[in-house]
Amino acid sequence: MSAVLEIRDLHLRFRGHSGVSEVLHGVSLDIRAGERVALVGESGSGKSVTARIVLGLLQELPYAEVSGGLFLEGADLNRLSRRQWQGLRGTSISMIFQDPTSSLNPVFTIGAQFAEVLRRRDPGLPRGAADERAGALLRSVSIHDHARVLDAYPFQLSGGMNQRVVIAMALANHPSLLIADEPGTALDVTVQAQTLKLMHDLVERSGTAVLFISHNLGVVREFADRVFVIYRGRIVERGPTAAIFEAPGHAYTRALMAAVPRITGGGPPEPNDGETAFLDPMVVHEGGGA
Amino acid sequence: MPAVLRLLARRLGISLIVLAGVSMLIFGIARVIPGDPARIALGPNATGEQVAGLRQALHLDDPVAVQYGHFVADLLRGDLGVSLYTNRPVTLDIAQFLPATLELVLFAGVLMVGIGLPLGMWSASQRGRWPDHLIRVVSLLGVSAPSFVWAVMLMLMFAFFLPVFPIAGRITDSFEITRVTGFLLIDTLLAGNGAAFVDALRHIFLPAFALAVSGIGQAARLTRANMVETYDRPYIEMARAYGFPAGRIAAKYAFKPSLIPSLTIIGLDFAAMLGNAFLVEAVFAWPGLSRYGVAVILRKDLNAIIGTVLIISATFLIVNLIVDLLIAFLNPRIRHSERGAR
Amino acid sequence: MRRTTVILLRNPLSMLGVVLVAAVVISAALADYIAPFPEHRGAVVDFVHFNQGPTARNVMGTDLVGRDLFSRILYAFRISLLLGVVVLAIATPIGTFVGLLAGYLGGRAEFALMRLTDVFLSIPPLVLAIAMMGVLEPTLLNAMLAVTAMWWPWYARLVYNITRSEREEGYVLAAEVIGASTLHVTFREILPNCLPAIITKMTLDMGFVIIIASSLSFLGLGVQPPTPDLGSMVAEGARYLPDSWWLTVFPGLAILVAVFGFNLIGDALREILGADQ
Repeated sequence: MSAVLEIRDLHLRFRGHSGVSEVLHGVSLDIRAGERVALVGESGSGKSVTARIVLGLLQELPYAEVSGGLFLEGADLNRLSRRQWQGLRGTSISMIFQDPTSSLNPVFTIGAQFAEVLRRRDPGLPRGAADERAGALLRSVSIHDHARVLDAYPFQLSGGMNQRVVIAMALANHPSLLIADEPGTALDVTVQAQTLKLMHDLVERSGTAVLFISHNLGVVREFADRVFVIYRGRIVERGPTAAIFEAPGHAYTRALMAAVPRITGGGPPEPNDGETAFLDPMVVHEGGGA
Repeated sequence: MPAVLRLLARRLGISLIVLAGVSMLIFGIARVIPGDPARIALGPNATGEQVAGLRQALHLDDPVAVQYGHFVADLLRGDLGVSLYTNRPVTLDIAQFLPATLELVLFAGVLMVGIGLPLGMWSASQRGRWPDHLIRVVSLLGVSAPSFVWAVMLMLMFAFFLPVFPIAGRITDSFEITRVTGFLLIDTLLAGNGAAFVDALRHIFLPAFALAVSGIGQAARLTRANMVETYDRPYIEMARAYGFPAGRIAAKYAFKPSLIPSLTIIGLDFAAMLGNAFLVEAVFAWPGLSRYGVAVILRKDLNAIIGTVLIISATFLIVNLIVDLLIAFLNPRIRHSERGAR
Repeated sequence: MRRTTVILLRNPLSMLGVVLVAAVVISAALADYIAPFPEHRGAVVDFVHFNQGPTARNVMGTDLVGRDLFSRILYAFRISLLLGVVVLAIATPIGTFVGLLAGYLGGRAEFALMRLTDVFLSIPPLVLAIAMMGVLEPTLLNAMLAVTAMWWPWYARLVYNITRSEREEGYVLAAEVIGASTLHVTFREILPNCLPAIITKMTLDMGFVIIIASSLSFLGLGVQPPTPDLGSMVAEGARYLPDSWWLTVFPGLAILVAVFGFNLIGDALREILGADQ
């Protein structure tokens, strides 16, 4: 069975005024159909850039150098033209960002933005039909007064409501891969938990593969089937969620877990940086086909 | 939309306060003038009796506050006094000269928005690439010279060396156009005279462009700056992550949010053109209010000076009011806010 | 400061700005030594060479009474720079003070001061100066006065906006909590935070003051002949277009060069100091 997403030996360098800095040092990762995979690390570890590379966004920056294998459902993404890659975004791959309210455009209604998303799959979809489909999708994320929501601007809705809207948008075109970059971190803890549960149920039902990016091990434990721990641009440990949580093998993973607040949420863990043990080779937990 | 109406009422109120302030300011300036306005008006050959008579007629012997009271009372009746330069009521003079200036400034405003905004938009979407650098340098050059310099240069190039446009005036004299609106571009169309319309268009283009150059530069710079900021917002990243075409993101999803903060300044730049029209009208012999203004200022024609400044300020306030409404219309936060705040 | 200078000199455009401004300042300061005909700054007549295009003797041609245009432009820079410096030296402190006061005091004082500012801001900039020059005698001093009168409100508005947002910042609150006086908070805590924006605006405004001042003299409302001034030179030359093109083109370009220089530096400063708006 081929993977939905496969990343092989991914390198990323930024060329800046003060020379070149390497951000990713050969990251490899795979996600199989219907699987939820978490990429865990502190901020600056390279998890968000990995997501943007999969979308092909980072490659458009003139000062970024990307190399490595990228395969979506067996197709080599690197052989796509910029235009073809763009064609995959919003259709085969979709993404959920950290703060739902600021990731919706403030001067267009939810309905207008939803229609634009639906037209990625169905160009020329009339607004009336789009609203109808959007209404049905909003019902699936438990929004029942969808007419009001579609007419509203993001600032008129609560953060949790916007998060549901964003989840509905992300799944609207039945993507084969959903990337969720710290979803709901900007929301308060109970709302975040609710919307994560909602997202969990939806992707489980639709069988959508998810790349779940987080610094929050508590959330990861609930959500993911498998975990990749990333530290300074390198994967330091990978394996099934249960295995990693039972017996974290790498010094960095252990430090990360020690820093986890007992309750879901809280600030990003910041283990003492630069401990030499963090640079130890990768720990691989077998099982789950990893 | 009641929120918008509330906003309108509020801004209108503030505008009226400001206009009252402007009238006091300009009245004050006119009254601190060294020398006796009556003497200046009558000239050196008038007798002391004549001067005294005029002083009384103009209430010049009353305290300044009372003088201002008379001035406001006259103003409310639509009476700005008589111009010493044309010997006609100032209101008549203004009615005659204002349309030409308004037409020029409005046309320049259209050029400013029509050229400046797309340039800024393109520049921002090409950030860091050569079109961006080129537009930034050119728009900075545009704001780096007064409009009379652009007027003279454009005239030299496109009226003398390459005689594409006429040198002066609003329209060739041989066209007889009945004035309806005072805007020749409209009146020629109303008269159904296509040739006259084209002629008027050719006359207005160079002066309007000269007037608009720095506005175009300013609008482009502003639009670019605000759009560059907008491009860093998460909702633009989301639009890109969903594969919206780059052109559509630039023209719609990044442009509209960045237009709102730009508009206030664009309104101010438009107002600056009302002042700069003084310079451009002088170069192109454009028969507008500004040329009238310079003439009356050089003759120390107080009534006419006050009238001209007041009418220009009023125009400016109206423009700002329109801009505020436009912002309210574009910005859902204001449109839907309960308090209709600024 | 050091960092700012380094960045200024690294970018080719801001480097160009530094070069242009330096050239203008040096030619103004050393006009007596650089100008081929220093005596042409005044009322000199040379009918042998009158109204000639550029030659080896007069690189920018001569004016209607035979004076060397290049020499006169160098001296005209003096007037422009002097005007700019004096106007900003007076307008900036006044506007800053008004803005700080309004922004910090709040309430009625805020309303009154800002409406006063609005009054000045709602007369299009040039029109106020023109109107003032209309009632005053056209001299250099009065021109400075008129331009200053239209300039301070912009600083008041700028500083007011910054003050209003700074007022909400933690450090102001902290200062208030430990019992610092309003005066102390305003001048020692908030003012320093306005400085980058003020400095940037002053650099950009040097160019704008030069533009406005030359506009006044272009209309015959500023510095009077025979004092060389770029605006009146263009005005005089405009009557002799297109044949004596050098009479307008060179003084016009001189304004462009000076203002462009200041704008390039101001733009770079704005980017470095992050003092937008």
